[in-house]
Amino acid sequence: MRLLQRLILLLLAIVLPWASARAERSPGDKLKVVATIPDLVDLVREVGGERVEVSTIARGKENLHNVIARPSHLVALSKADALVQIGLSLETAYIPGLLEGCGNPQVWPGGKGFINCSDGWEAIQVPVVLSRQGGDLHPQGNPHMNLDPRAGRHCVKRICDGLSKLAPEWQAEFEARRDAYLAKLEAPEKRWAALGEQFKGRKFVEYHQEYNYFAQHYGLALVANLEVKPGIPPTPNHLAEVIEKMKAEQCDVIVTALWSKNDFVQRVAEATGAKVVELPNMCGGIAGTDTWIEMMDVLHERLAKAFGIPLPEKPAPEAQKPTQKP
Amino acid sequence: MHRTLPSLSATLALATLAHAQAVPSGQDKLPPTQSNGMVAPLPPQGPLDQVAGQPNSQGTTFVTPGMPTMGLRVSSGQVTRFSNEFNPAFSFIIDSLAQVADNDTGNDGADVQLLSMELAANAWVDPNAWAYFVAVLEDESLAVEEAAIHYTGFGDKNRLRAGRFFIDFGKQMQVHVHELRTLERPLALRAFLGDEVKGDGVQWDSWTTAGDATAIRWSIGAFASTLPELDADADPAVTPVNELASPKNGDDFNFTARLTGFTEAGERGTLQLGTSARFIPNYEAQLDGATIDSDLSNTVYGVDATFGWVGETGVDSWTLGGELLISSGDTGVQLVGPNPANAADYSINGDSLMGYFAFAEYAWNRFNAVGTQFSQAELGDGDEQSEVELYYTRMFSEFHRLRFVLASNDSDFNGTSSRIALQYTAVLGAHGHGVNW
Repeated sequence: MRLLQRLILLLLAIVLPWASARAERSPGDKLKVVATIPDLVDLVREVGGERVEVSTIARGKENLHNVIARPSHLVALSKADALVQIGLSLETAYIPGLLEGCGNPQVWPGGKGFINCSDGWEAIQVPVVLSRQGGDLHPQGNPHMNLDPRAGRHCVKRICDGLSKLAPEWQAEFEARRDAYLAKLEAPEKRWAALGEQFKGRKFVEYHQEYNYFAQHYGLALVANLEVKPGIPPTPNHLAEVIEKMKAEQCDVIVTALWSKNDFVQRVAEATGAKVVELPNMCGGIAGTDTWIEMMDVLHERLAKAFGIPLPEKPAPEAQKPTQKP
Repeated sequence: MHRTLPSLSATLALATLAHAQAVPSGQDKLPPTQSNGMVAPLPPQGPLDQVAGQPNSQGTTFVTPGMPTMGLRVSSGQVTRFSNEFNPAFSFIIDSLAQVADNDTGNDGADVQLLSMELAANAWVDPNAWAYFVAVLEDESLAVEEAAIHYTGFGDKNRLRAGRFFIDFGKQMQVHVHELRTLERPLALRAFLGDEVKGDGVQWDSWTTAGDATAIRWSIGAFASTLPELDADADPAVTPVNELASPKNGDDFNFTARLTGFTEAGERGTLQLGTSARFIPNYEAQLDGATIDSDLSNTVYGVDATFGWVGETGVDSWTLGGELLISSGDTGVQLVGPNPANAADYSINGDSLMGYFAFAEYAWNRFNAVGTQFSQAELGDGDEQSEVELYYTRMFSEFHRLRFVLASNDSDFNGTSSRIALQYTAVLGAHGHGVNW
């Protein structure tokens, strides 16, 4: 019996490691890309077109700070040529563990396939002091840059650079697609800017610090957050202060994501008579937000409705389709 | 080297806290703009790069030929004794308990205690290896629970761990007690394996994929000993212990093995199945230095299943699971004579014993969860013990937790005991043990 056990162990030790070897990509093969959020899936498709196969980890309705990693994520990352992330520690809840476990150094930070979309981005709310007294702080600043109206333009450039390094033979194609997408962005950006001008100075309360880039871009006035600090749930004292402040400042809009529309929000809304506006925090969570442009459209429109701002005419459906291969 | 039999006594537990290592994610400053209007990537910045950018700038202490250079033959002068750029990440855990107990044995009453204080450190040794240690202050004594290195330089999905670390058995033996969902490790695990099973040894770990949504992992380990440590309060004159030969030949090492698969069950569910084994090929039972019996062996097998479901917003979740255990071979020492201090009055129990545990937990958001766990184990000679625990866990944030527990234990040896407990656990710093799955 003991001899048998030892033989089994020896066999396992010799044979099994070979089963886990990762197959290398051959030139001409599609790039396998894992994106951390659906927004980046859309942008990778815009740049990569038919040259990429891309999947997402987070799904549209989730709290991006609390995504639970699943087996398919580990498998996908172990086979991936590239990982595309927002960065700024947005994905800290799940990416470091997946990277540690996936055994694919190419997609680790510093690896050829690690594409960090926040590189070169000027973050806001960069903490001066790193202390847990500040809640779940992100050392590099507010990570929700995907909700900034300028983010699509920034991220496609990063993605194009990253994919081009991985597959230089397709660089010209990636760059052409990137340029086409940048051109496609011009019309919606004008549309958003027209609405955004009317956002200036409007007061709102949000649950989590998710829409701060958006607010800063248009000059919206953030009155308070329902969370005590980022990631720290509301306490009764804090809610009482928020209610008092909202009344004093005549703020009647509370902004939530799908994951954060909870009892605390309802309580404050009832106490203040404020409207609760459910906004997308990434693509796919709300109907009609499959692309980043659509998601930003919905974000602008819902907020405009909440503030009583009339909406401009909707764009023709053709303008919303993914960019075609040039 | 004296070791106790697996203990059936109660252990007190601590907290599961999220592993949160930051991924270096680039820079926040705007980089220079290139002529084509594109934003160029920034060059590497930060303390590590500043150091790396000035090779040998810090220098070592002055050494003459034949004297050690930083203790190693390779010295690039990256650090001096006063450098702190490469320090490990440290963390502390404070775990405390207040409880009221009612026992048939008469040991009733209330108590408040610091269960343990843990100090841990994690750091990369070089690009191919990282290491950590976990030291725990418990009952006013400091013990090194884990001190190990993970070598990842084999590439792909293979890893070698060496040093002292918890054995890879099921899902709940890998983790420290404070990381469990419950106040204590399940009774069946405590009965057959011990409160915590760490060993000095090596473990090979590897995994592979099966389709797009399934991962299969296996490990094998060899250890000097995987017997639980002697209970500090036990009297060696009346408490039999197990002893392993030292130094050893091949038969004297202990071995572990685990095979587990992790797959998706529907849109939001995951299912993990696993099987584990621990072999102790050769040990000796002793009482105060006198041999009760020698050439003994014991094997514990386990089959585990865990199902997790997460709501579409990632806020609410269910976790269900359990493990069936069989302990075979020489499973324990029984007192058969009148004198507990006489080695001749003990005999070895050769019956196979069975035990299991099952649990269910529902979290309605990130910060609140309720759960229950039931466990039962055969103790030999027809005796059994069972335990049920109900709990509510309130996370104030990612880094501290309050747990309210109702627990009851029913034993053919000690009768019934029950308790109400309030456990508070706090984590300072970057906590994580590199747990397997």
